[in-house]
Amino acid sequence: MNRQQAEQKLKSIFGFDQFHDNQWIVIEKILQGQRVLLIEKTGFGKSLCYQFTATQFKGITIIFSPLLALMRDQVQKLQALGISANFISSQHTEEENQQTIHDALNEKLKILYIHPSRMENIMWLETVRNIKISMVVVDEAHCISTWGHDFIPSYRKIINLVNLLPLNFPVLATTATATKRVEDDIKTQIGKNIVSIRGNLLRENLNLYVIMVQSEDEKMIWLAQHLEKIQGTGIIYAGTRANTEIYAKWFEYLKIKAVHYNSGIDTATKKYIEQGLMNNEYKCVVSTNALGMGIDKPDMRFVIHTQIPVSPIHYYQEIGRAGRDSKPAYIVLFYNPAEDKTLPLSFIEGGRPKLEKYHSVINIIKSERLGLNGVVKTTNLKQTEVKVILADLIEQGIVVELVEKSRKIYEFKFGSLDLNVQNFKDLRNTKLREFDEMLNYLVTKNCRMTFLCNFLDDNLSNDCGVCDNCRQRTVNVSVTQEWNDKLVNFRETYFPILEIENKTTNLINGVAASYYGVSNVGQTLHRSKYENGGDFPDWLLRLALKAFYKHFGRKKFDIVLYVPPTESGDLVKNFAEKIANSLSFKFSNILKKNRMTQPQKKFQTGLLKIDNLKDAFTVENKNDIIGKNILLIDDIYDSGATIKEIGKYLSKLGATKIAPLTIAKTLGGDL
Amino acid sequence: MKQHTEIPYWITLAHLPKWGTEKINRLVVKIVHDNQMNLEIFFHLSESEWKDRFEFSDNDVLDVQNAKLELPNNAFLAEELLSQGFEVVPLNSFEYSKILKDNLKIKHSPTVLYTKGNKQIMQENSIAIVGSRDADKDSLQFTDNIAKKASEQNKVVVSGFAKGVDKQSLDSAIRYKGRSIVVLPQGIMTFGSGIKKYYAEITNGNVLLVSTFHPKAAWSVGLAMARNSIIYGLANEIYVAQSSESGGTWAGVINGLKKGRSIFAYLSENTEKNNNLTLIEKGAKPVDIDGNFLEENLPKNLLTSDNINSKNIIENSEFEQLVILLKKETLTPKQILEKLPLNISDKQLIKHLKTIPIVKTIKKSNRIHYFIEQNVATLFLTI
Repeated sequence: MNRQQAEQKLKSIFGFDQFHDNQWIVIEKILQGQRVLLIEKTGFGKSLCYQFTATQFKGITIIFSPLLALMRDQVQKLQALGISANFISSQHTEEENQQTIHDALNEKLKILYIHPSRMENIMWLETVRNIKISMVVVDEAHCISTWGHDFIPSYRKIINLVNLLPLNFPVLATTATATKRVEDDIKTQIGKNIVSIRGNLLRENLNLYVIMVQSEDEKMIWLAQHLEKIQGTGIIYAGTRANTEIYAKWFEYLKIKAVHYNSGIDTATKKYIEQGLMNNEYKCVVSTNALGMGIDKPDMRFVIHTQIPVSPIHYYQEIGRAGRDSKPAYIVLFYNPAEDKTLPLSFIEGGRPKLEKYHSVINIIKSERLGLNGVVKTTNLKQTEVKVILADLIEQGIVVELVEKSRKIYEFKFGSLDLNVQNFKDLRNTKLREFDEMLNYLVTKNCRMTFLCNFLDDNLSNDCGVCDNCRQRTVNVSVTQEWNDKLVNFRETYFPILEIENKTTNLINGVAASYYGVSNVGQTLHRSKYENGGDFPDWLLRLALKAFYKHFGRKKFDIVLYVPPTESGDLVKNFAEKIANSLSFKFSNILKKNRMTQPQKKFQTGLLKIDNLKDAFTVENKNDIIGKNILLIDDIYDSGATIKEIGKYLSKLGATKIAPLTIAKTLGGDL
Repeated sequence: MKQHTEIPYWITLAHLPKWGTEKINRLVVKIVHDNQMNLEIFFHLSESEWKDRFEFSDNDVLDVQNAKLELPNNAFLAEELLSQGFEVVPLNSFEYSKILKDNLKIKHSPTVLYTKGNKQIMQENSIAIVGSRDADKDSLQFTDNIAKKASEQNKVVVSGFAKGVDKQSLDSAIRYKGRSIVVLPQGIMTFGSGIKKYYAEITNGNVLLVSTFHPKAAWSVGLAMARNSIIYGLANEIYVAQSSESGGTWAGVINGLKKGRSIFAYLSENTEKNNNLTLIEKGAKPVDIDGNFLEENLPKNLLTSDNINSKNIIENSEFEQLVILLKKETLTPKQILEKLPLNISDKQLIKHLKTIPIVKTIKKSNRIHYFIEQNVATLFLTI
């Protein structure tokens, strides 16, 4: 098929007159059974390269993509064009997925989108052996590379698969972000004479700004002053989970419609927020980098970072979510030179657990095949650490991952090589270098888009003309007394919610008087608990009462209970008693421990925290509990495991409601 | 990673419908040996090249064309296989069991072996203990004794994961900290529960799982029967614990005897269900419950004092030298005595040689020469 013939077909199937030159180059190669890596910016039309080709093949084209929203969009568009396409995902019911697989088996589909993790699904693997496949597409191919910024472990299976596919079998890998290094890595891994085609990555509609600040307050004030002035909706990326909440509450306080989003939020709420973002129901979503991969919103008008990312490639990827419709979008990055390096550096340095932890995981798995929770419990390591370790061990072929009844099991691979730590060192050095480049981006006097493209090894001939440097505009923050007062008032009236409501108990969401690390509350608690500082001071009492009123209003509780202490004496008891007296609720000390427990902070993993407390609580007379609304006091809320266990117990005894009130909330356990 | 890329081709070729093992293996030899080619290149040759260089008929071309369509699907299968820690050992690999290849030859050697565990133990001296699924206590004791002895002597025990003798030999080998090859009567990916059970032994390198069938093939009588020849093939010596008059064990032993394999049968006192005696009549060497060799065709109680004396006529160390010598050369008794100062007469030597089951004779220039086949194991021979 020559270009003219292809474009005739393009017209009749897709309604377009012609291909871009690069599109045709790719399509021609794929039609000849070649392997192609296509690096082009968002909006280039990468998907047409495989969608068109798929319609020309006899069998089915399988597209691996990590982006559910994108799959859904593309499938809808293809179906509207009369092309039989569908996608399998965890968002479908089992029946729907089975129907799709069935259609694929019966050659009723031309294009099938699936998430890479589907390669761990037994039913899919059983079926795919019988599907007539003509081409494999790997979308977001940079996820293949551990050198990239978004490595997804299940992509490892995709690489293995692609390597095993026969010669002359067309494979297309696409990405919008790849440095030369990542490009080379992808090429090596996909192998078999892959050719790469690289377009230019300039996004001329993105207006890049860097705003230098002296404090977190300045960031909050600038946003308060300007956010409403930027058209449309967008994303604000904050560095930590706690900050997503604080910024969102700040906007809420200012009556700006905002919501926070992070990995600690349950799936249903996440979906709800994503939907709201798509429908412009918020001015902004404040999020950690957990939000983004699944979002394909063409008219995202701004992306603002309150924290600097760890590398220019992360940054390019994250801001790439703005302005996909090619209309102007605003990209702002705040930088406080005094404080903002700490967090990204801790990600880089803390990204990889200590070697001893690797060896303890290896040893455990050598003696016993275990699931993730099993490894976490036996090693007493954090789940997040165990996940990183397992991913590395699988990568190095030391551990294999099996799926049994939709549960992942880890096995040691006999005869595997020893743990290779040089990889880790190289990776760390690369990350540090990339972080240096990120810092250079902040201070460059030249075109910022040119800087980013250079970093991605894409040499631009023209500057963007729209960034702060090209326009020679420096943005400053003007802090006024009025704004300072607003911020103080916000801080004194903002209390973190303890989200603990669930279906199986009568627990309801409670409130904490403060974040542990954010104010001097943490230090004050520490003094009382561990430095013989005596009872918690009265200003903490006042703060806690304020939190209570803010959250519960005039709600009445029948009794006030407190969490029996493990080691710090009567501090919590005395505090709870004062709370009860101030609110004129009945104080009671009937909640006891029926056995010794370990201090919760001894356990790294939430799973062991739960085990530590299981069935550890008791009350003598359950009539004291039946039908009661209970306010439950504790000093620090961490993983919530203690409150959950007590809530479960009291619910079983017949309590109507159990609401927690604590002095502080930490920045997050790992469950 | 690179060496794995051929695996889908091997899987495709090994399970090529309608082609028998021998036809497939002969093609493999032509590809990798005669043409110094890898499978990937072979599969992507043109039809005419297949015909010219591999003497393909039109039907052959058609078969391979059809098989070729399976390659992408077998890539998915291979990915699953490898990611679960299974390995694929093709016929031309240095990791392929030499014992198996020697025993089954090109005609019957499986084109690929699917394995999990320590592949190295396929290369080591090995014995198989075979017998029926409903073996009696006595035979199971024999099995245990043999497995123990093998384990103590660092020999690998090959078994087939059936009930009875198979299960006993595996469990005994594990108990005595020996090593085992388990030859599966099914595809290796359908053996989940067994892998769970023997996880620790697989992981520490003491157990190797081997299957020769399509990885997803479910257990069947047919596969269980076919698997027997692999068990016999993987072992240097075969010990029969208990055979009935028909069935897998019986057929395997008869077949093995025809091929001149070293087969030892337990001469049980309980002959009701045990048909080993018939096997001994057909050429299997009788052994007692500890695996000690018994005078051919002579029940224990009939051993004469003369015979017993003849057994002790030479020292252990001398015996070992004798075996080494006869493995290297084919000699007359006189020649033997020239090379080894045994301090016995020709006649005594001849008498003694007759009691050693592995010693074979051949007539050369009208004289009887004695020799021992090189690949014969001498594991349980004591004097």
